[in-house]
Amino acid sequence: MSTVLDEDMGAGAGQGAGASRRTALSLHRTELVLALVAVAGFGVLAATTGGNILQPGTMQAVLQFLAVPIVVGLAQMVVLSVGQMNLSVGALTGLCAMAAASLMADSGLTPWLALPAALLVGALAGLVNGTLVVLTRINGFIVTLATMSVISGLRFSINGTGTYQDYSPGLVRLGRADVLGLPVVFLVAVATAVLVWFFFARCVAGRMLLASGGNPFAARLSGISNDRSVVLAHLLSGLLAAVAGVLVVALSGSVNASVGDDLLLPSFAAPIIGGVVLTGGVVSVLGTCLAAFIVRLVDVAQAQYGINPRWVDLVVGAVVLGAVLVSQRRGKGSS
Amino acid sequence: MRVRCSQLVKVFPGVRALDGVDLDLRPGTVHALLGENGAGKSTLIKVLTGVHRADGGTVTLGEDGETRTVAFSRPLDAQAAGIGVVHQERNLVPSFSVAENIALQALPRRAGVVDRAAVRDLARRCLAQLDLDLDVDQPVAELSVAHMQLVEIAKALATDSQVLLLDEPTASLTADEADRLYAVVRRLREQGHVVVLVTHKLEEVFAIADVVTVLRDGRSVAGSVPLATLTRGDVVDLMVGRAHTELELSERSVDRAGTPALELRGVSTSVGHRGIDLAVHRGEIVGLYGLVGAGRSELVRALLGLDSVTGGEVLVDGDAVTIRSVGDALRRHRIGYVTENRKEEGVFLTQNLARNVAVTVWDRLARFGLVRDRDEKDLLATYRDRLGIRLSGPDQLAGQLSGGNQQKISLAKWLAADCSVLVVDEPTVGIDVRTKAAFHELIVELADQGLAILLITSDLPEMVTLADRVAVMHERRITGELLNSHHYTSMSAQVIRLVHGESAVDDPPAA
Repeated sequence: MSTVLDEDMGAGAGQGAGASRRTALSLHRTELVLALVAVAGFGVLAATTGGNILQPGTMQAVLQFLAVPIVVGLAQMVVLSVGQMNLSVGALTGLCAMAAASLMADSGLTPWLALPAALLVGALAGLVNGTLVVLTRINGFIVTLATMSVISGLRFSINGTGTYQDYSPGLVRLGRADVLGLPVVFLVAVATAVLVWFFFARCVAGRMLLASGGNPFAARLSGISNDRSVVLAHLLSGLLAAVAGVLVVALSGSVNASVGDDLLLPSFAAPIIGGVVLTGGVVSVLGTCLAAFIVRLVDVAQAQYGINPRWVDLVVGAVVLGAVLVSQRRGKGSS
Repeated sequence: MRVRCSQLVKVFPGVRALDGVDLDLRPGTVHALLGENGAGKSTLIKVLTGVHRADGGTVTLGEDGETRTVAFSRPLDAQAAGIGVVHQERNLVPSFSVAENIALQALPRRAGVVDRAAVRDLARRCLAQLDLDLDVDQPVAELSVAHMQLVEIAKALATDSQVLLLDEPTASLTADEADRLYAVVRRLREQGHVVVLVTHKLEEVFAIADVVTVLRDGRSVAGSVPLATLTRGDVVDLMVGRAHTELELSERSVDRAGTPALELRGVSTSVGHRGIDLAVHRGEIVGLYGLVGAGRSELVRALLGLDSVTGGEVLVDGDAVTIRSVGDALRRHRIGYVTENRKEEGVFLTQNLARNVAVTVWDRLARFGLVRDRDEKDLLATYRDRLGIRLSGPDQLAGQLSGGNQQKISLAKWLAADCSVLVVDEPTVGIDVRTKAAFHELIVELADQGLAILLITSDLPEMVTLADRVAVMHERRITGELLNSHHYTSMSAQVIRLVHGESAVDDPPAA
């Protein structure tokens, strides 16, 4: 009767429950701090660049390229909610982007068929991840490390190192369009975030994921299948990675097999900085979105000030480490 | 709903945890389930709640007219049958609201979306049944332990539990909070529920229970007896009983004139011990007895530097010392600790035996930082003969040994380190009877060789067999110390009285 999530019950259960309790209480504070940092950072950037990023074109670019980080952050957040990790998020985003482009360019499908097909690919890959974790009882970290390599390979098998272009002028036009000054891709990302929020806040299935992540023992005694929660979390993670892939296809106008290579760190950065608990049970959609925005500001600052791009990863990595450290300290401090 | 258990048997490898238990739970009663550590209470609860399957006997539900025999194979079966259990604050999701936790077993829903109004209604109904006024929207994490427990009771009511098992419900409650809980329990009784109270506190039993079942060695020695017919003394006598076939050891004499090998004077610790006085002499076995959770292992952990000693003096061979870590204790003061959880703390399950024994003395064996296999194997061979460890070879993995032999490996490790004081924590838990006797002889032999031994055990017969003196700990204080007469009936009665906060001498037991 043991399940994947039960493994760390035992002595760790009380401790884990205590940690997530404290984090639950401080979550609103985290969101507030993030909002303040986002506003302050944006203000400083606007002031020091002489209002440069407030100009319509620049602002649109800022938001356009925020869409994918938000969605991959959510893809990671969904698996974190049950205390798991998904290392294959970036590779899967790339695979789904390539699949969509290939179906349009090579098979001549309309975007109306190609995009849903890409979403299906992502959901299936997620289903495989989750099923493997539950059936083999191997740690999700290892399983997705392996599937990351497999997916990475599949990504290259579609078109080698070749690039797809001009697969659907209409789609790309839509991807670069905006409504009332807000880019369509950004609006899609926000809509996705709202759906994810609704799922976790209101849907029975979402509450079950959080129960499994928050206290697997209590969840099991309440008749919730922790195994089902794990599979569902991975499936949704795959689906969200596919949404990110579709956004890339719509936004960039040309894709190749390297898409997704640089998404793994951002996928962890957004939820972790956003206050999501690594051991599961507590998620924050708002925090994840705000954190993705702050990371995006680091990118923008790099471009605006002409800083060596290498520094961006270093800064983001340091901030992630700092965020984890702070939440740990907070956990210890109040015990 | 009436629940009757008849001749329940549950066998674990080497142990008959339940060996013919009868239990009759009648609606509208508070039923106390008593027994010393290891008597089988937890196992009985686990069988009743579907965590374990009984190996024999029957459980029947229902009144005389219509009864059915059930065998629960998982917790949900027991729940569906109306048997709910309240664990100690383990059964709630901390970030969820009170309402959602109460309703979690069957979240009211509409098209996959949680019906929050219905969730709140259900929670309010359950809380009202307990006469409780809690904010149902508050996250459980913000509640006190006492309130969490009450929420758990409400949660059990949400699935219409007719039988509620409360496992040590007042262990972490203040007196006021406990009174509040008793009020809830009485209310449940009036409503026709059965409340089963598992507890160590006799005052609690006499305050609210109607019927009592006493377990001893896996048997029910008093099956569902009305409490009104019993006195406190009767209950203690029932719990203690008579030890069965114990190993008879030759009389030992201990010289307590010299300086104790280890002495604590008024020690207090960061984990709550106050004014602990305790001394162990060379060649002496001092037993430290108490209920599970009395703070015995915690005292030793503080002593060895795993937690900190905050006051008083620790003396080794008469010198006041400060012990900062286990390494410190071992190398500078020659104090070894044979841990309670041999699987987690005592041995390296995935390493070979030679390495397991040699780990404490690697720095002594090493030449230029390298440890030769042969030296490790020689060491193992020495202790294999001395302790009678049954192994197939030095390369065998510790995880492949039986529990008793693992424990011997754990012991060998500390003997190899040439300890003069050995703390042995629950040495024979989960070990079969024969190995247990061999282990007992071994411990006495070690003491005869001049080791000072501090024995922690919850097994009273073991304590009476081995110890020269017995110190009793209750709620992190030493409540008394007795010279062991090795006479089970009188010793056990005195020890139990000390545990339950009564003076050991005022009522000489009829031996």
